[in-house]
Amino acid sequence: MTDKKLTVQKQYERYPNSLPFFIALFAGIIGLYFLTSYICTFKGLSDMGFVLAKNAVSGILSPNVEKLFSLEESCVPYLLVETFAIAFLGTLVGAVLALPFAFFSSRNVTNSTCAYIGLTIISILRGFPTVLYGIIFVKIVGTGPFAGVLTMSISSMGMLTKLLIEAIEDVDKGVIEALDASGCSTFQKVRYGIIPQLSSNILSTIIYRLDINVKNATVLGLCAAGGIGAELIFSINGRRWHDCGAYLLGLVVLVLSLEFISTKIRKKLATGE
Amino acid sequence: MLKDLLHIFVPDTHELSNGKKVKEKFNSTPYIIIGILILIFICAVITDVDFAKFFKRFTKGWSFVLRMLDPKWSYWETARQAMLDTIIISFVGSAFGMILALPMSFYLSNNFKLNKYYILVHRSVLSIFRTLPTLVYALLLSLIIGYGTTSGTLATAIFTYTVAVKMLYEHIETVDMGAYEALESTGASRAKCMIKAIWPQIKGFYWSTVLYCFEMNIRSAAILGYVGAGGIGVKLNDTIANMDYERTGLLVLVLIVVVVVVETISRELRKKLVNG
Repeated sequence: MTDKKLTVQKQYERYPNSLPFFIALFAGIIGLYFLTSYICTFKGLSDMGFVLAKNAVSGILSPNVEKLFSLEESCVPYLLVETFAIAFLGTLVGAVLALPFAFFSSRNVTNSTCAYIGLTIISILRGFPTVLYGIIFVKIVGTGPFAGVLTMSISSMGMLTKLLIEAIEDVDKGVIEALDASGCSTFQKVRYGIIPQLSSNILSTIIYRLDINVKNATVLGLCAAGGIGAELIFSINGRRWHDCGAYLLGLVVLVLSLEFISTKIRKKLATGE
Repeated sequence: MLKDLLHIFVPDTHELSNGKKVKEKFNSTPYIIIGILILIFICAVITDVDFAKFFKRFTKGWSFVLRMLDPKWSYWETARQAMLDTIIISFVGSAFGMILALPMSFYLSNNFKLNKYYILVHRSVLSIFRTLPTLVYALLLSLIIGYGTTSGTLATAIFTYTVAVKMLYEHIETVDMGAYEALESTGASRAKCMIKAIWPQIKGFYWSTVLYCFEMNIRSAAILGYVGAGGIGVKLNDTIANMDYERTGLLVLVLIVVVVVVETISRELRKKLVNG
């Protein structure tokens, strides 16, 4: 600005050089093209692919009403209740397992070595695919929703621990010191210093995970561990599109309504009513 | 005794010295706790929870785990190839999903005063699609365009798109619009305003979303392959069906190592992105 002979030409020359950006963009596009052609070999639709797609869309859009409302075991209402029950209990058991683990591996409760060990164990637990947990538990307790509950609890434990650690590491130590100074006992310190700070965070984490678990409960169908997943997968593989539409509609309604409720509750928890 | 119990559920009324009656604040916590306990009981009945059975038959699953803990290293070549496929599927899927999501998230955020009804419709459609798990997309696509990596990549791309658009437009709605308005007043076109004023503000968040989606897709790769959509999941399914648990063990080991490495790298990178 101090330069009095500033002309448009000079200012224009100062414009940042965008050549490196375009070179990077070009390289990115070329790289993506090669990767895509390596992984995707599009040979047109499979035999009858077009007819299948048409049938699928029209079938899913006109769900089987009988399946949607009758109360038998292979119909939507019962399966949805079962799915919700699996997700609910799975989340609770997962939370119960995660709490001591989270306290063990948060830096302000124990030291950083413990935290490192805990985090590594959790990464490994999280890396193990859910389907394999399902297979192991089905081998132990047999097919059915109980295996689903166990699978859900182990697979949600990892993420719950990770989020709980963040909550615990956020605890304000000043409050505890203040309570200490006013002569509170240990129980009182926990009751009035720690629980009020943590409870809303922990609850909102658990509700958030419940949401995800209901969404992911379809996976349990792959290993016959209960819920709506098995029926959904069978109906797609058997090309019973009307039934598939009914299951999908049920799932969408359940997930969306649960998401709505959980967002409300979590907002309430975050702002303190 | 009964009165004490009642005291928990019904708020007391106290009489002050000046004869005024004061009612305690109503506390809903005990009702909520009882409701949750009843819900737990009902759910336990529905899912036949039986922990005694679990502990009694615990050893049944043990042989499976023991055989997996002794991986067969001669299977390494296949495992490496399958894992490479999975990584490329996740990468390409995330890339296409995120490239599509960037312009779309601008169109779907409320602060540019674009068509309100279009935004509403597109957002509702997306939120319905988001409720369907990747598994369903992969199943449908592999029926329609054939089993293999192509349908897996497409399913990954669709799922990434639905998740990423929501995260991005929610973030775009919180940015500072001052720079945008300033540019608009100089007569720049809307697209140019978005690129020059909004993009620098969301750049860090966008790249961290890319990393998050890539991580999520690698994690769900095992499931994708399970329905025949390519990658390591197909091999997992085959080895389990053949009761070849030593090979399963090697596959799982490779998968866990990759997941942990990707997670660590992405955590460090994201920390850098957030701190600038």
